Amino acid sequence: MSEILLDVKGLTHYFRLSKTAVIKAVDDVSFQIHKGEIFGLVGESGSGKSTVARCVMNVHKPASGSIYYQGIDTCDPAQFRKNRKLLQTSRQFIFQDSTSSLNQRMRVADIIAEPMAIHHVKPQRGSLREEAAFQLHYVGLDSSYLDKYPSELSGGMRQRVTIARALSMEPELLVADEPIASLDVSIQAQIINLFAHCNREHGCSILFIAHDLAVVKYLCHRVGVMFQGKLVEVATTKELFENPLHPYTKSLLAAIPIPNPRLERARVWHPFDPGLFDRNGKMVEVSQGHFVLKGETV
Amino acid sequence: MDNLFVQVGIRPIPAPQVKKQKWGRGKPLASIAVLTLILLSCLFCDFFIPKDPTYMDLYHANVAPNSEFWFGTDTMGRDIFSMIFYGGRISLFIGFFATLISTAIAIIFGAISGLAPKWLDEVLMRFTEILLSIPNLLLIIFVQAILGKANVLSISLVIGITGWTSIAKVVRTEVRQIRSAEYVVASRCMGAGFFHILWKHLIPNFVSSIMFMVVMNIRGAIGAESTLSFMGIGLPLEVISWGSMLSLSEKVLLSGSWWLILIPGAFLVVTLLCVTNIGNYLRKCGNRKVSNL
Repeated sequence: MSEILLDVKGLTHYFRLSKTAVIKAVDDVSFQIHKGEIFGLVGESGSGKSTVARCVMNVHKPASGSIYYQGIDTCDPAQFRKNRKLLQTSRQFIFQDSTSSLNQRMRVADIIAEPMAIHHVKPQRGSLREEAAFQLHYVGLDSSYLDKYPSELSGGMRQRVTIARALSMEPELLVADEPIASLDVSIQAQIINLFAHCNREHGCSILFIAHDLAVVKYLCHRVGVMFQGKLVEVATTKELFENPLHPYTKSLLAAIPIPNPRLERARVWHPFDPGLFDRNGKMVEVSQGHFVLKGETV
Repeated sequence: MDNLFVQVGIRPIPAPQVKKQKWGRGKPLASIAVLTLILLSCLFCDFFIPKDPTYMDLYHANVAPNSEFWFGTDTMGRDIFSMIFYGGRISLFIGFFATLISTAIAIIFGAISGLAPKWLDEVLMRFTEILLSIPNLLLIIFVQAILGKANVLSISLVIGITGWTSIAKVVRTEVRQIRSAEYVVASRCMGAGFFHILWKHLIPNFVSSIMFMVVMNIRGAIGAESTLSFMGIGLPLEVISWGSMLSLSEKVLLSGSWWLILIPGAFLVVTLLCVTNIGNYLRKCGNRKVSNL
């Protein structure tokens, strides 16, 4: 096993709706991401995947738990301040919605070069504009797009611009919050290949959040499954897809459509009963690297 | 898995045919022209004014407009034509400088309040409301009394630091909306500081909504200076501005020397009209949607 890059321990985050109502968006989630690994986080809508990503990126301050990035406790303000530059340059975030994550009044060139401008990075390729053009080429757009505004681009192009912006700092950890959810299938394929390429060629680790299991199976090395703010199962992709242990994972995997109408029609449906879900279960290591949440009922 | 990274190529998209509008269509050309004329003639008045605006020609005091004194002379025998342009410099300087000060304060104050946590936002906004509830003129008089004797700089400072409240409230409301946008969150993740976010993300997105108020602020500042001078608490009499010229005319209200009131008044009103008109146009421009999303 290679070195651990990101270590999330007992992460918990609540959203206070009113004086009395509290939503446990993330409840005691722990996982590790190794160097050069793509870690997938799957789960249904509202299961807390994005909140995990935002806590990892210090957008939300978690209610309890700690997040270690290269041994730095990012939730501790003193340590964060001390390593601010490292944390802000080597971790980058890609948002789900490319429309709102790009400022409409900025040109593509400025958007891509923004992190470099903030950190006064000396551009390797002469000017910030050259650098932006290079990154744009890297994600498969030509330099005629440099002077366009986000509203002049299509959704796929915009998402590629957000990826180019994140890649411009050559991050070690890329947190991608459903980067492909809003794209059509052909563009999804391009973006996924782009992620695979980044991981292979530059060794950047990726926390990849998705609800499309086929994509996760194709791209990720290890997968975590979330349900109602709890992490219910973590395993390598192969192990998880071949040998799912938690009933929720089973029903989730059973929902993958089979590309054969006859088999698809004959399939037996395994819905997971949320009433059975025991929130107070403990993570148990079943086999090497395969953790399952074990409660009293399931 | 090795050859899976394929660039799917770039489809050339023909540039859309944009029908070119005739230049100047819908723009307030007349206002721009008149305002430019007034501004330029005030700036370069040294080259064409026929008389020394401060020289008191007591033989020709209170003369009606004629071929020598085009706009007549005031009660102290100064040539009004020369005074108008000479004084316009000061009036316009006060207008623009005071607006600059108040806009800068408003943007920074509003942005801090908009980005601040709830309790601080609450405190700052209550503070602006307290300021807003005091009549502006009263506030100006107070601050001027603290600063002491009025001169051009101090009076624009006073007008500037009393006139930012309503802009700040608009800025704060806009910032509240923009600050949760993902591009601001993304920028923060990248480590952007307050001024970077303010300059790159916030100002371009709210500038259109305060543009009109800012231009109106120029008008307000010129007007406030005139009012102060007219009441005798603004610039001293020997400093020539449109306001101080009007303040002189208070003494001739009943004497029938109409040119003393009418001419500086007309210049003031025309300038303010032009500024209003341009401001109105800017507001309309800003309201036009910039995106097709």
